[in-house]
Amino acid sequence: MSLFWIVIRQLAEIEAMATSKKVITKEEWEKKLNDVKIRKEDMNKLVMNFLVTEGYVDAAEKFRMESGTEPDIDLATITDRMAVKKAVQCGNVEDAIEKVNDLNPEILDTNPQLFFHLQQQRLIELIRNGKVEEALEFAQEELAPRGEENQSFLEELEKTVALLAFEDVSNCPVGELLDISQRLKTASEVNAAILTSQSHEKDPKLPSLLKMLIWAQNQLDEKAAYPRINDLSTATLEDPAI
Amino acid sequence: MTNSNSNSNSNSSKNQKQDLGAYFLELARLGAARGASGVEEEEEEAPSELNTINSSGGFQVVSTDKLSVKYTTLALHGHDVGVVQASKPAPVKRLVYYFEIFVKDAGDKGQIAIGFTTDSFKMRRQPGWEANSCGYHGDDGMLYRGQGKGETFGPTYTANDIVGAGINYASQEFFFTKNGAVVGTVYKDMKGPLFPTVAVHSRNEEVHVNFGQKPFAFDLEDFEKQERMKQQTTIEKISLMPNVSYGIVRSYLLHYGYEDTLNSFDMASKTTVPPVYMAQENGFSEQDITYALNQRKTLRQLIKRGEIDAALGKLRDWYPQIVQDDKSATCFLLHCQKFIELVRVGALEGAVKYGRIELAKFFGMAGFEDFVQDCVALLAYEQPRESSVGYLLEESQREVVADTVNAMILSTNPNLKDSHGFLQSCLERLLRQLTACCLERRSLNGDQGEAFRLRRELNVGKTSKC
Repeated sequence: MSLFWIVIRQLAEIEAMATSKKVITKEEWEKKLNDVKIRKEDMNKLVMNFLVTEGYVDAAEKFRMESGTEPDIDLATITDRMAVKKAVQCGNVEDAIEKVNDLNPEILDTNPQLFFHLQQQRLIELIRNGKVEEALEFAQEELAPRGEENQSFLEELEKTVALLAFEDVSNCPVGELLDISQRLKTASEVNAAILTSQSHEKDPKLPSLLKMLIWAQNQLDEKAAYPRINDLSTATLEDPAI
Repeated sequence: MTNSNSNSNSNSSKNQKQDLGAYFLELARLGAARGASGVEEEEEEAPSELNTINSSGGFQVVSTDKLSVKYTTLALHGHDVGVVQASKPAPVKRLVYYFEIFVKDAGDKGQIAIGFTTDSFKMRRQPGWEANSCGYHGDDGMLYRGQGKGETFGPTYTANDIVGAGINYASQEFFFTKNGAVVGTVYKDMKGPLFPTVAVHSRNEEVHVNFGQKPFAFDLEDFEKQERMKQQTTIEKISLMPNVSYGIVRSYLLHYGYEDTLNSFDMASKTTVPPVYMAQENGFSEQDITYALNQRKTLRQLIKRGEIDAALGKLRDWYPQIVQDDKSATCFLLHCQKFIELVRVGALEGAVKYGRIELAKFFGMAGFEDFVQDCVALLAYEQPRESSVGYLLEESQREVVADTVNAMILSTNPNLKDSHGFLQSCLERLLRQLTACCLERRSLNGDQGEAFRLRRELNVGKTSKC
């Protein structure tokens, strides 16, 4: 090692001592990384879990064939679930509700909030399509009774009906309800409810692990200077900050 | 045939190949290590009985099974406490440590205590009466932490109560329970190995200790689950760049050559709502990782089906440089796998013949020896699957060979930027970093707390234990 690098290293150590952080060189860290054993089958399971939870049915089926990993959920149920999700995302709420009930009538029975949000979405779609009379009828017959049972439902209902008061809905204070993000939110909710009813976790594990990595690095930063991974999509090790 | 051109040019690539060889051989032997028990960490010793050697004599009697203690004499002052420690200190490499006592008899005054002390504790005093100790006392329900005066803490306890004491390494707290419910927690500022401690201090007091040999009254598993959830909730609040998971899954499929899955995945992504947008700023350009995708997929399929001869044939056609050196790790693993496949179908004579031709040369070669010995050992058993070398017959073994060949093909990419990028997928690098960070953090924290274990994370939310 040249004199230059020896000096740099010593400066780093002095700095680290001042802040009492342990300095771990790239070499030392790579050795620690190499000591970690990650099993291929565990990684395969993680990927399969992602495909299944996010609803990539065909990909999950192909992955099962190519890797020999068994999905932890019946693939047939994914297609049904995705059909429901898609229907909501496209605004076909009635269709979605029918499909959910075909899948499992208990889901909506045991999920009043979900059912209300679906009905609310139906109302939004009616308003979006300019069917004012139908919308009002629907609101009064279907949604108002639910609103009476629950204060927060009532508030939501009032917010939604308020859309009718504006000519230019894109500029009104409750205009966000017409945004596609509202459909996506409802779609996500129904997706999660179906997964839960099938005793499956509603979120894939991979994002949690990525967050855990960020968290673990932040925690370790308090006590040590070591090579970090700052870009998750490339997983390249950065040299320890001097 | 070995390549005998060992000039300085090929020396460095030879060294690199040796590195690769070692890398994959380690993977191959991973199955062996796992065979014994699924444990990835050495088990720390946990206390299982009371220490009869260091307790001050005369005031109390410990039973022969070293799990109960009784105060036999008449207590006269504050320095004749019948205090007993466990024979080993509480293990630290876990989320929580916990033990319980059952008060059999509260005796004259019910002056029982449970807590933790260090190995320098004055063994005639109640835990908590001396510095660097802590104790929850049954007669007054107070917590003592080294001062003469206790602090109000929880309810008193007496005969027939079950009282527990625990260390929560995640929150760095002591906690105590009575009859299955937590009564209080306190910050742990004691350092060093901590011994579970119980004490009795009036005539006829008797307690039985439970170090886990019996089920606890307290639901420890649920407590641990709650603790993990707390950490999980904090972690969930962290935000990720959009589509990061998607990108990592995609690069995983590309890396290992799962072509069909990748195509399905890409097709489905086009129609998702909202559409997934992938920025092409990855370290590798698309071209690098789709390199030889179809060939890698074909080879993986052949190997996963056990068709090693066909795989070798294709390799000789497409990538002769990989199988040129018959003594390379790649060839070694392929030959071994062929041997294993012969054993699998019961063609033992064929296996022996093959072994003589192809495997014999590896005996005596450092690094290859252990593995080849395991392979040949398969012949010794009528039921090789159930033997100690049964791991060789598992699917995971074929997977290792397939991954080796995959990596070697990736290494032939002339556009390779990162010299070691072909060894591990992005996902693997991330998981290694996660594990290493958690281990390092734990090590800097006196080794306290749980290590990150991918297996456990994968099984969270399922009823079966990992």
